[in-house]
Amino acid sequence: MQDKIRNFSIIAHIDHGKSTLADRLLEMTGALSQREMREQFLDKMDLEREKGITIKLQPVRLKYQARDGQEYILNLIDTPGHVDFSYEVSRSLAACEGALLVVDASQGIEAQTLANVYMAMDLNLEIIGAVNKIDLPGAEPEVVMQEMENVLGLDQTEVLPISAKLGTGVIDLMEAIVKRIPPPQGDEEAPLQALIFDSYFDSYKGAISYIRVVSGQVRKGNIIRMMYSQKEYEVTEIGVVSPYMTEVPVLKAGEVGYLVAGIKNVKDTRVGDTITGANHPADKPLPGYQEVKPMVYCGIYPLENIDFERLRDALDKLKLNDASLFYEPETSDALGFGFRCGFLGLLHLEIVRERLEREYDLSLLATAPSVVYKFRLTDGSELYISNPTHWPAPQKVDQIMEPYVKASIMVPHDYVGGIMELCQEKRGLFVTMEYLTPHRVLMTYKLPLAEILYDFFDALKSRTRGYASLDYEVIGFEVSDLVKVDIMLNGEAVDALSFIVHEEKSYFRARTIAERLRRIIPRQMYEVIIQASIGSKIIARENIKAMRKDVLAKCYGGDITRKKKLLEKQKEGKKRMKQIGHIEVPKDAFLKVMNIEED
Amino acid sequence: MTQESNSSFPKGIYIHFPFCLKKCSYCDFYSIPGVSASIRDQYTQALLHEIDRQAAVTCSSNPIQSIYFGGGTPSLLSSGQIARVLERVNARFQVDAGAEITLEANPATLDRDKLVGMLEAGINRISLGVQSFNDNELQMLGRVHNSSDVFKTIDIIKSLPLKNYNIDLIYGLPGQSIEGWLGNLQQLMSCHPRHISMYLLQLDPVTPMGQEVDSKRMLLPDDDSVADMYYAGIDYLTGKGYRQYEISNLSLPGAECRHNIFYWQAESYLGLGAGAVSYGKGRRWRNLPDINAYLNCCQSQETCPIEELEHMDEQGIISDAVILGLRMTDGIDLERFSQRFGIDLASYYKEVIKLCRAQGLLEMEQGRLFLTKTGYFLSNQVLCRFMA
Repeated sequence: MQDKIRNFSIIAHIDHGKSTLADRLLEMTGALSQREMREQFLDKMDLEREKGITIKLQPVRLKYQARDGQEYILNLIDTPGHVDFSYEVSRSLAACEGALLVVDASQGIEAQTLANVYMAMDLNLEIIGAVNKIDLPGAEPEVVMQEMENVLGLDQTEVLPISAKLGTGVIDLMEAIVKRIPPPQGDEEAPLQALIFDSYFDSYKGAISYIRVVSGQVRKGNIIRMMYSQKEYEVTEIGVVSPYMTEVPVLKAGEVGYLVAGIKNVKDTRVGDTITGANHPADKPLPGYQEVKPMVYCGIYPLENIDFERLRDALDKLKLNDASLFYEPETSDALGFGFRCGFLGLLHLEIVRERLEREYDLSLLATAPSVVYKFRLTDGSELYISNPTHWPAPQKVDQIMEPYVKASIMVPHDYVGGIMELCQEKRGLFVTMEYLTPHRVLMTYKLPLAEILYDFFDALKSRTRGYASLDYEVIGFEVSDLVKVDIMLNGEAVDALSFIVHEEKSYFRARTIAERLRRIIPRQMYEVIIQASIGSKIIARENIKAMRKDVLAKCYGGDITRKKKLLEKQKEGKKRMKQIGHIEVPKDAFLKVMNIEED
Repeated sequence: MTQESNSSFPKGIYIHFPFCLKKCSYCDFYSIPGVSASIRDQYTQALLHEIDRQAAVTCSSNPIQSIYFGGGTPSLLSSGQIARVLERVNARFQVDAGAEITLEANPATLDRDKLVGMLEAGINRISLGVQSFNDNELQMLGRVHNSSDVFKTIDIIKSLPLKNYNIDLIYGLPGQSIEGWLGNLQQLMSCHPRHISMYLLQLDPVTPMGQEVDSKRMLLPDDDSVADMYYAGIDYLTGKGYRQYEISNLSLPGAECRHNIFYWQAESYLGLGAGAVSYGKGRRWRNLPDINAYLNCCQSQETCPIEELEHMDEQGIISDAVILGLRMTDGIDLERFSQRFGIDLASYYKEVIKLCRAQGLLEMEQGRLFLTKTGYFLSNQVLCRFMA
């Protein structure tokens, strides 16, 4: 049985054609009829389909009639294509014996892809290279194949040229999967070990786990145990996705499928945990499990205080499906009651915020994202802070530390100078530089995570005309000269606008932010004075002149209805404002003000 | 409960003439450039039909206080045509002997004979769309007249027994300075109008001029400059004996435009002609702005197709009356308002009034609720808070 199974992942950069390739595989193996087919079939969220980005595809089981006359089962397990989710990538790869590396024929390998391929190689996966989009005018498959050989050591003669859009080369690709990726080799009679590589929440069945059975077998009715959480459940359903959920009687070593066990919350079926049998448990769990910790925090507040409970309900519901989402209630003098939320990264933040607004119809206000800062206090204790408002008094602080990342940047060699300049501006420390090909360079820097959060990605793109790609991993905390800058409107500090910045950059950033606020806050009935301060010292000042004109000069019989509509609109506009003291601040000001590059 | 009833509809009649010699570059009203003699005839005929039909379905016990020919350019009609329309109104409705009967006119469309004929027809007030005394500005606005046309027309008017006339001016034009604007007002003084409307240029993006501004080929003066122009204009005219009675309107005492006051006091009016709006009992509707449909149905004695614009509930009627009433410098008489609409405004809008007063935009004194002088040019900040 196992020798007819091939478990593989697709590693591809965003836009390099992962979803399209998945669509072709579904179509060409006959898993879906023409009638059932729709674009990006395996993309899970509307949000993904809408944004045209795929964070992660659903796993799927395909039946393939190979040229040798045999029927094979191909299990496609996707890897999320974004740096926020690298832990999930590692668990998906761990569930496979091989990986398809899909690279755009005109773009070449990107840093993110590279990191994921290295991860696959560390896990001893067979890598099958494919150059995609060979039908496009700018395609240079030979150059990209050469690059794959130089950078990754793949034999360029074995890299397959394909066009996922047209279906060109896709059969050869499936043949390569069958021939080159080894079949799984687990012991069906050994105690059960199944790796959870993904999970989601279904309102009828509860948490559904996607699993790869590594050894043993699992059936409906079995009592299972989560080896990290130690919780036990009775299996109520097992099955495979092909691409609709289909119940099966048993999943044996080597197989991939889903499992339902009356689990109420996805946090009880953590990605990376090992499922074993409660009666004959395995000696030890599969390696590689980690608790994922949020990297980025921000405050999320309902625009109307009355919506606080609705926001809590919505977060509770999202959490059912997102074990890495963190939140706890907090209060702000300016914004009222809300939540401090923790995310894996900026994309994760943006997705959650959008889903809250869209799926739960909430009007929200988000503060600028922040990292976690670590303090050593004079009394020897340690303190972690994710909200600038909680910054301890300076006299109590012995040392301040901030998270650093190791950033890998891949870039055409023409832009090396620009990248060095940028990294220096962002307080980066040079680590290494390596020529991957005569034209492509891999640069490694140590950078504060906070700098990456602000505008690093945009700056990187604009300075390299979009040719640079970035990957990073957090490497720990380092001591840093940081200060807290407060922002005052007409003399009143607005806690939600406070921010942390490196001392050397504090004046510049304070000026930028004050000036930004001047442009974002509309003219009010009174003059508004914006000040930025460190402690009691004012370091930047701007003023917004009082409003002088807001009038409908003409309003006569034929016109009244139309003019009233304008007033109606204006009344609605006031709802998008947050009243802070006497000042009306647009609700998106709190985020906008930090996007330095947006000018 | 509101005290309005069918027996008080309408207090005024508005007659729309949707034709112009040429469309002005800033205009977003319903009007059609170019008009032939035969269209004028047909349109006049259609108006007569509509007057007959409307009179048959209205039974006002109060005499009509105001008749207003607006447009478009109604002064393109002949005095004979105006006379026929007014005769028919008089025949079908009860018109007060002292009714204000206004004709909007373009200075380039009037000569002595025509004006004399208009007065004979019954017109007793002229509203002249002068807009500017500066020929460059007039050209930019796409007006068909120049400043010498204006002075000629004024000379003719002054020689006639017509004392009640209004002049419209526009300020806040691209490139206009405060000095340029005050220069226009000085010229205006030599015309001795009893009534002055001074309008800030506010462009709809669909107009040619609006598009010039949107695409930054034309630059309007900034908010501070136009606010300075506004208040300088008000102060200048007040110094000359005019009294400001609405955000954009001033007059010599007693010469306020009765017709416009009906709008702002939320009184009922009947609109006749293609595209004309009517108001009564919390309902606004308009004849469809389609000349052919209007002519056809009037000829075939059918009712003209209308478009419902608003149907307000009690709350809507009240907020409407406040929004319009506050445009006038005298504001709203709280006692009268409560008699008419059955609510005590001061308590009904307590929070809004408190907020606007704290901002220095609104005042309440001696039984009246009114905008402050600062509030005039920031009135939207007040009015939008009273929206239903």
